[in-house]
Amino acid sequence: MVFLPPPHLASASRPAYAEAYANILVAHRRSPLTSASSVIILVAPDVDALCAAKILAELLKQDDVMHRIIPVSGLADLERMKDELVTYAELHTLILLNMGAILDLSSENWFGEFSMKLTVHIIDSNRPQNLANMFAGGENGERFIVWDDGEAENMGEERKAWEALTYEPEPDSDEDSELDDEDGVRSNEGDDLDDDEEFSERGPSGKRRSLGDGDRSQEKRRKLDDQSTRLSREQRDRYHELIAKYYGSGSWYGQSASATMYILATVLERVDCDLLWLAILGLTFQYTTARISRDAYDKYHSIYYDEVFRLNPLPPDVAANTTDAITAMSPDDLSVRAAEELRFMLFRHWTLYDSMYHSSYVAGKLGIWKERGRKRLTGLLAKMGFSIPQTQQPYAHMDLDLKHQLRAKLDSIAPEYGLVELTYPSFARCFGYRASPLGAADAVEAVSALLDVAGGIRMEVEVEGARHGGEWFGGGRLWEGGRNGEEKREKRIEVGGRQKDGDDDVDADVDCEERKERTWWVKNFWAAYDALSEITAFSIVPLRDALSLAMSLHRAIIRQGTSIIDKQDIRTMRSHRVVVLSQGPDLALFAHPGVLARLGLWLVDALRDRLPGTKIGGLQGRGKKSLPFVVACLNEKTQTYVVVGIMGALDFGDVRRNEFGLAFIEAKQRCNARSRHNTFDASVLEIEQEDLKLFLETLCEVGEGY
Amino acid sequence: MALPQSLRTSVTPLELELIASEHLVEIVPLITMEKTAFISGAYGPLRPPAKCRIPLWMATNLKLKKKCHIVAPEWLSVDFLQERLTRETSRPEFSKLPFRFAEIAKVILDVASDDVQNADKIKSLLKDLREARQAKSRDGLQKLDHSELSLPNLCSMEINEIRPFFIQSMGILTQLFREPSAE
Repeated sequence: MVFLPPPHLASASRPAYAEAYANILVAHRRSPLTSASSVIILVAPDVDALCAAKILAELLKQDDVMHRIIPVSGLADLERMKDELVTYAELHTLILLNMGAILDLSSENWFGEFSMKLTVHIIDSNRPQNLANMFAGGENGERFIVWDDGEAENMGEERKAWEALTYEPEPDSDEDSELDDEDGVRSNEGDDLDDDEEFSERGPSGKRRSLGDGDRSQEKRRKLDDQSTRLSREQRDRYHELIAKYYGSGSWYGQSASATMYILATVLERVDCDLLWLAILGLTFQYTTARISRDAYDKYHSIYYDEVFRLNPLPPDVAANTTDAITAMSPDDLSVRAAEELRFMLFRHWTLYDSMYHSSYVAGKLGIWKERGRKRLTGLLAKMGFSIPQTQQPYAHMDLDLKHQLRAKLDSIAPEYGLVELTYPSFARCFGYRASPLGAADAVEAVSALLDVAGGIRMEVEVEGARHGGEWFGGGRLWEGGRNGEEKREKRIEVGGRQKDGDDDVDADVDCEERKERTWWVKNFWAAYDALSEITAFSIVPLRDALSLAMSLHRAIIRQGTSIIDKQDIRTMRSHRVVVLSQGPDLALFAHPGVLARLGLWLVDALRDRLPGTKIGGLQGRGKKSLPFVVACLNEKTQTYVVVGIMGALDFGDVRRNEFGLAFIEAKQRCNARSRHNTFDASVLEIEQEDLKLFLETLCEVGEGY
Repeated sequence: MALPQSLRTSVTPLELELIASEHLVEIVPLITMEKTAFISGAYGPLRPPAKCRIPLWMATNLKLKKKCHIVAPEWLSVDFLQERLTRETSRPEFSKLPFRFAEIAKVILDVASDDVQNADKIKSLLKDLREARQAKSRDGLQKLDHSELSLPNLCSMEINEIRPFFIQSMGILTQLFREPSAE
């Protein structure tokens, strides 16, 4: 398990991305059993991993390397996949995208038992990463390569601590039996910390700690005996504390996986507009889902900005930064342009009123869940000179001069309503004369809507022009996720069948449902994958359709969010806030963790200014103020609750480390709730219906305990 | 060929494209390759940045993998095509163009439009050329004569277009013409 420094830190003795990639190629070409299963890419189901997978697939295709992409939804799925992969004799490279960093992959539970010629590459933006993955060496260690983004350079302290603790000999165990009773308190603390880390296997070091504590009273004698070869107790404690702090301060995100892949493509000198666009989508996804802060976003944005201008030089007479500079210059213009993006949701594809109504930032500032707030919104629009019919027009049909004035008017009038910082720098892509340009944020919305709900749920989508009685058949039509009629028929039977089966409790039906459960998100993954490919194939119809899907998703979120705030469903506990959804028209929709997480983010954004922040402290009890939210939704079919924990920051554009992962694990153990972590995110949990109440109460205690 | 009988009267454009892909084009390779033997001949060695002549099919493959840049042939330029177009529209006979210019132009513009200067202008010029020549061949077909068999400067796609009609009608015309002299 070594970590690869990024290319700008590479030197002759430290191989970087290009060498690792070259090794994959060499292994592929030299192995006699090469087949499509020699290189397998496991992809987590989020937009960033999807983009990274596409970039990597493109690079491998250009090098004629046969590969397979397999979507994996969570830890349980990864285990199942691992059992299947053991049987593949010709597998020599495994690439994990956005998963697995926190796992100790060389242990027997995971990939320790695989053959020696297997190399595992881990490209993951989740932090913290398992230190064993990063720093362990040795023959077994060389098989696992973590592609790092330069952060590992700053982890020298943790590295020293980890190496010291792993490689130092254990203290003698025969002297501990006399001292066990003295150190009950100390070893309890040690156990607490270890319990938090179910994901990583620090078993040996934890055990060593409790053993080590038993030696306190022997310390003086020991010091006199052999001071030079042993770590002192204080140093050992300090190292433990350092490592505990690394693991225990919550989860955060580093460089996106697609950025890592883009850097690889740059090193191989094979970048072009498509790869750049995919990398931009990965970054925008991280920013719009509040995974990285505005500063981190700006840093990567400036890199991509330079790339855009390098690859797509604008003719000199077009100004770079007007919003209307994003027009295609020629029928084949597929270039990426830099543009300022407004924080309104899907604003180029919706009416102006709707996009402002559905954006969480505006919602929070104006308070649109009340009638008064909606009046304020129309008032703001009127002040800017937009008449009500104009704002109800789809953006594409709005008057041209209004569009031009929009930015200027917003800058001048919006601050009166408290709406500052309405724009952020972003990118848009032209599609020649086939379609209007698409912004990066909108594309991310469309793809993540496809990933979440492309199949498996009945979604009503609005047809444009149907709003004011334009269509004969009413305002909506069902979303047809399948591309051919066969799939549609299958889906209808599935939907009908599932609603019927929900009441039966025959085992066969449960299995059948599980298989359907497992395959719906695989289908979604491939629908999203294909939608991204369609961009380069010149017909972006699936992606455009997905925009309407994203719109209906947002409408559902707003409906639910406003009803929650109206009914004041938010219960405030000592250190966090809880919302439990057990009824409502969209319950089936919110049973999906992705959608539920979006609802949570919307609530955080909407209530940012109205609620005081609370201090949910870290292990040291010195946390920063934040807005912790726990949202739970009932899944009627399986009689379980899906629980998502979100740590909002007090300032817009800032992020906090998400400590709910550890808190959930601890609470789960304390109250012995029957629950499962279904995704790679520790802050998303599925719990049996009866245990929810107890779990939430334990969660409060956990908060206090910090 | 897997086409139904009714469509087998002449070669399809795709087949013509395949045949035209054997034509040699010049590339600037980005990778190194030794002189390698293929079925149609031995090509290479590829030593960047020196130019090399390889078949179009191989150039397309390399270009799609971003391993070369295709150098447009000298006739695929705005000046040449513009000059030919003016000649085409001013004189009644067909002007001289490379025999397989339509297929080669299509392949190169599809795959390597960034390597060609002014790709849009060239596309519109090619379209104009095609229309002008098509008008001339339509007129020529009206004036078919049993003894006239020369088709100067017609290119492979155009020949392919009129081939079924031409053959059948020439056959009927010679029959018609022979009969009066048989009497």
